[in-house]
Parts: sequence; C-alpha cells; structure tokens
Amino acid sequence: MKGSDNQEKLVYQIIEDAGNKGIWSRDIRYKSNLPLTEINKILKNLESKKLIKAVKSVAASKKKVYMLYNLQPDRSVTGGAWYSDQDFESEFVEVLNQQCFKFLQSKAETARESKQNPMIQRNSSFASSHEVWKYICELGISKVELSMEDIETILNTLIYDGKVEMTIIAAKEGTVGSVDGHMKLYRAVNPIIPPTGLVRAPCGLCPVFDDCHEGGEISPSNCIYMTEWLEF
Amino acid sequence: MTQAEIKLCSLLLQEHFGEIVEKIGVHLIRTGSQPLRVIAHDTGTSLDQVKKALCVLVQHNLVSYQVHKRGVVEYEAQCSRVLRMLRYPRYIYTTKTLYSDTGELIVEELLLNGKLTMSAVVKKVADRLTETMEDGKTMDYAEVSNTFVRLADTHFVQRCPSVPTTENSDPGPPPPAPTLVINEKDMYLVPKLSLIGKGKRRRSSDEDAAGEPKAKRPKYTTDNKEPIPDDGIYWQANLDRFHQHFRDQAIVSAVANRMDQTSSEIVRTMLRMSEITTSSSAPFTQPLSSNEIFRSLPVGYNISKQVLDQYLTLLADDPLEFVGKSGDSGGGMYVINLHKALASLATATLESVVQERFGSRCARIFRLVLQKKHIEQKQVEDFAMIPAKEAKDMLYKMLSENFMSLQEIPKTPDHAPSRTFYLYTVNILSAARMLLHRCYKSIANLIERRQFETKENKLDASEIQVDETIFLLESYIECTMKRQ
Repeated sequence: MKGSDNQEKLVYQIIEDAGNKGIWSRDIRYKSNLPLTEINKILKNLESKKLIKAVKSVAASKKKVYMLYNLQPDRSVTGGAWYSDQDFESEFVEVLNQQCFKFLQSKAETARESKQNPMIQRNSSFASSHEVWKYICELGISKVELSMEDIETILNTLIYDGKVEMTIIAAKEGTVGSVDGHMKLYRAVNPIIPPTGLVRAPCGLCPVFDDCHEGGEISPSNCIYMTEWLEF
Repeated sequence: MTQAEIKLCSLLLQEHFGEIVEKIGVHLIRTGSQPLRVIAHDTGTSLDQVKKALCVLVQHNLVSYQVHKRGVVEYEAQCSRVLRMLRYPRYIYTTKTLYSDTGELIVEELLLNGKLTMSAVVKKVADRLTETMEDGKTMDYAEVSNTFVRLADTHFVQRCPSVPTTENSDPGPPPPAPTLVINEKDMYLVPKLSLIGKGKRRRSSDEDAAGEPKAKRPKYTTDNKEPIPDDGIYWQANLDRFHQHFRDQAIVSAVANRMDQTSSEIVRTMLRMSEITTSSSAPFTQPLSSNEIFRSLPVGYNISKQVLDQYLTLLADDPLEFVGKSGDSGGGMYVINLHKALASLATATLESVVQERFGSRCARIFRLVLQKKHIEQKQVEDFAMIPAKEAKDMLYKMLSENFMSLQEIPKTPDHAPSRTFYLYTVNILSAARMLLHRCYKSIANLIERRQFETKENKLDASEIQVDETIFLLESYIECTMKRQ
C-alpha cells in the first residue's frame, strides 16, 4: 500500500477492525480524531483503490457503513434473508408462511386419521423445527440459503396468527435438530371459537359507530350498512 | 350505568311492558333508589299509575325494595336484571334442549309471569300442552310435576324469598314493607303436593259434544273454590344457573374445536359432575378423581380406563390450561380451571373482533403484543415480519380504537420523548369492557332499526288494498254464479 500515508493507513486499520459489521463515518472520525474533510477524502481514495466499499444499512436507509471490499456484510446490516436490496420481501415471507402452515396441517391430518390412541396421535402431529427446515429446503422455493433460525421466525409468525402452537421438549444433545439440549415442536391447531357474534351484525364493523345516535345524521333508521345487510 | 345501557333498558321495557312502566323504570335506573312519592313527583305521573307500574316491576324481579329507618320504603331498579330480558329466548331454548317441551313451557311461564306458585305453573303448562296434543289425549299433571321437580333438583328454578313466619305474636303495627328472607337449604325444596288432574282443553272446538261442556263446567268452579295447597311459595327462574350452563357449553365447544370430540365429552362430564357442588364464581371446580370420571361417562362411550387416563393427561398438558392436575390420589385428581377458561374465551373474542375489523395482519400484531405483554415498536416489526410502515399504521389504528395502550418508561427524570421507551401493551379487562359497551349500543341500534322497519313498511296499508281486491273479485264471482 505504498502511496498512502499514515492517515490512510490508520483509517484502513479502523475499518478492518470493524469486521463484517462495517463502521459509520462518524465513528471513524471519533476513533482517529481526524477532521471530517480529511476523512471524506481518505474514504474516497480508498474506495477508488477498491480497498473498501460502502454498504447501505437496512435499519436507517441514509446511513452508509464502510467495510473491507471483499467481506460479506453481516445479516444485521443487510437484514438477512428477508431483505433483498433494502426492500423487505413481504411476498417471500407470505409464501414461506403458507408453505410451512400447509406442511404442519397435512401432518396433523394424517395423525388424526390414523385413529390410534390419543397419545400417539398427538405426538405424531408434532413436527420439529428441523423437519420443517428440511421440507422447505427440499421445496426449493427460496433462492437464498435459509437457516433454522430463519424458519423459526417464520413459524413464530404462524403462532402469532393463531394457527400453530409450540412446545419445547428436552432432547439429548446429538439428536438431529436439538439446540442446547432442547427441541422446539410445532403443531397446527384450530381456533377455539368461531367468529364472534358481534361482527356478524353491521354495527360490529361500522367505521362511524361513535357518531351514530337516533335523530342524528347517522342513525340506525337510515344506516346504509344495515340497508345493505337486510337486502339478502 | 352507561348511556347505552340505559337506552337499551328503556327499549326493552317499552317493548315488553309499555310506556308507563318504561318511564318509571328508566327514571329509577337513572336516579338510584327512591321512595314512592318522590318517584311520582319527579316523573309527573299519578300515584296510582306509579303503584301499578312498580307492582309489575317488582313481580318480575326488576325492582327491589328496602325499608330504611324512619319507616321509609325505597325502591331500587336492577339495571343488569333488565338487560337479562334479552336472553329470555335463549333460556327457553336451553330448557327445551334439556327437558323437552314440558320444561320449555314451564320456564316460559315463569319468565313471562315473574313469579308463580307450583300448582299454577303445572295447571297452565298442562293446559297448553293438551291443546297441542291430538284429540282425546290429555297431559297428566303428574308428568308436568315430575319435570318441575327435576328442574328444581338441577337448580334451574328456585324459590323466591318469602315472608318469614313469626312465631311470637307481635302486637306492634306491621312494618310498611315486609323483609323477605329465604333459607339457603329451602331454596330448591319442592313442597309435597299431590296434584292430580289432567290438562283441559279450551272449549273452542266445535267437535265437543253438547254433554261435555256441562260436565266440564262444574269441574272448573270446584277448582276455583278449593284452597291452593302451596299458597305463598312462589318460584322463579334461576338465571345464574342458566349462565353457568352457557359458560359450560362455551368451554366444551372450545375444547372440541381445539382437540377432538372425545376430549370435549370428558370435559362435559366433569362439568356436569361439578354443576351443583361448585358455586358459579369459583375459580376452580372441585377436584374429581379419574375413577369417578370413568364411572360417570355417558353410556355408549366405551373407552377403556387407560385411554381415559391418556386423554386426561393430554388435557392437563395442553397449552390451553383448561384442565389442571391437582393430585395423584384415586388415579389422578383433575380440576377445571374456570377463570383461565373464561379469560381464554374472552381473549379469543377480542382477537376475532380485531381480525374482522382490521384484517389478519393486524390480528397477528395484536396476538404478538398479547403474548409478549410489553413490546417496543421496532420489535413488533421484527417479530411479526410485517414492513415497518404498515406495522406502524396498524399499531396506531388499534391504539386509537382503545384495543391497545402505551406504557411510558422514561430514561431521564424529565420524561423527554426522545429519551423515553414507549411500550405497547394490551389490557384485556379494559378492552373487554369497551367491547361490551359497544355490544349494548349495537343491540339498541338493531332494535331501533327493527321498530323503524315495521313502522315504515306500511304493510297494513297494502294488506287492506289486497283485501279489497279479494272482496271485489269474490262478489263478482258470486254475482256471476247467481245469474247462471
């Protein structure tokens, strides 16, 4: 690296230390105590020499972090498998969501139809996160390599949808898919009540509910939602 | 009492009892307990009418009275009891499913009349049932009495509090209003009556021979002259017991949806066994041993003891936590966790309303906040896998509709917004109250719309027009026939 002076070497050292997380230009300034204009000049120099590169962070889209040219940016910067070029891939997540749910649902169906004693039925309707991960990898719908943690975040969203429940069991170290001595099992479930009665009447879904009273502009007697509802 | 509840009460009272009762009832609900003269003065109705209206309300258990010191009697309306009138059809239908037509008519008579003696109920129900049966058959009083006794045994009907029998002859003046007492043990005690007789048809059918009316008439008059053996013992429908039954049904259907039919039957058996032993507001039922449950399973459900044990273990381990294991004696003691079951059902109702109103992504965020109890906005986006902009929008919408609330945790003593943590949280109790209030207002809206539709539909006018056409055509045909 001849041709670069001590300042450049210092900046390069700082960026190298940051590893694959990258470092923000303001942090470089703090660490090296160099003025901003100097830093900017040095950074432009290094970039043209193809020693460092700038990567946009997904957390704050205006921030640029710098790292060595040949390093892969860390997941926290690029957002991991769910982001491609700073865009959250909602459709990708949705597709994965549905595939995982179908897999768990079909497993529960086969378990229910086997009609053995209930303990076996229940245990066979469970699928470990490892099994789901293998199934998704084999499906090949993902261009990006997905890890087991990624699949677990998808399965968590299914839990928040109320379609899946999770239990943790203790498993021996060394069994496939176990992490730190325990395994997560997932199972498709049905909701415990059908859609509740209030939402079957127009008042349950009405956006102007608070303004409605007898004798006003919006009242039960001239409610357009009720007229539509009564038109059956 | 909120405004919506008062409006609903006034609509119900008007539909069932009329304008005057409605005016008095609503006035009492609004102002609390008041003596007779103040009511008459404030509502501007005559004392006579107020007395009659209060009679009706007291008969139907909607108003209670109390003697205060200085001998003043104050009347107080029970708003929650008025709102129960909405559920009358449901009570009647439940009795029909459990005790068939006889039970249904008994409960219907009790609800329509407020309080009745047992003999009056039996007579009325027998008469009504006889009318619907084929000619020649009559309903025996004994059958109706049997159903009545069964209803009392399962606590669906109970005795009303009555005037206590004073042993010592008190020479002092009688109090202005009697204080009614009821002994806990006597509440479901059926008096020993020997009601013999059969139901009678009304004499409106033309097929009755001329001899029969004469034979029936003397029977009627003698009945009126006999003193009623159980005078003073009045019965009313026990609404709490019906509510307990509805709660049990909801729990059983939730278990059936989450697990399978057999588990729900087991839970139903457990609930039936603890119907009478557990009070309605207890958090847990009495512990039941697995042997007892096995013996009480309905006939026709022949599952072996081991399979039952497996089901019970599965129920106890389920994340729903409806059933808990409280000991190991007798093959395992199991309780049903009533509070937890009701909380889960209420939460599921809230989630379903959020889902229908705002969409399934909002429902995902709602369940996420429920599970994590307190969560920051950034974490919501990460866990729910929803883009940041949409997540923010949905959170604010739910916040504005009061399904969620914010908890501030300041980092500095001056509570500066840039240095404070804001955590989203769901308070189930307050969200449930808000939803309940909305339900009351919705029902009031629906009743008003129904009244509006029946008024505006002008059916009466068109019926008269059609009738005129019929009359014209018929007279023309008659004329033409006569000419020929």
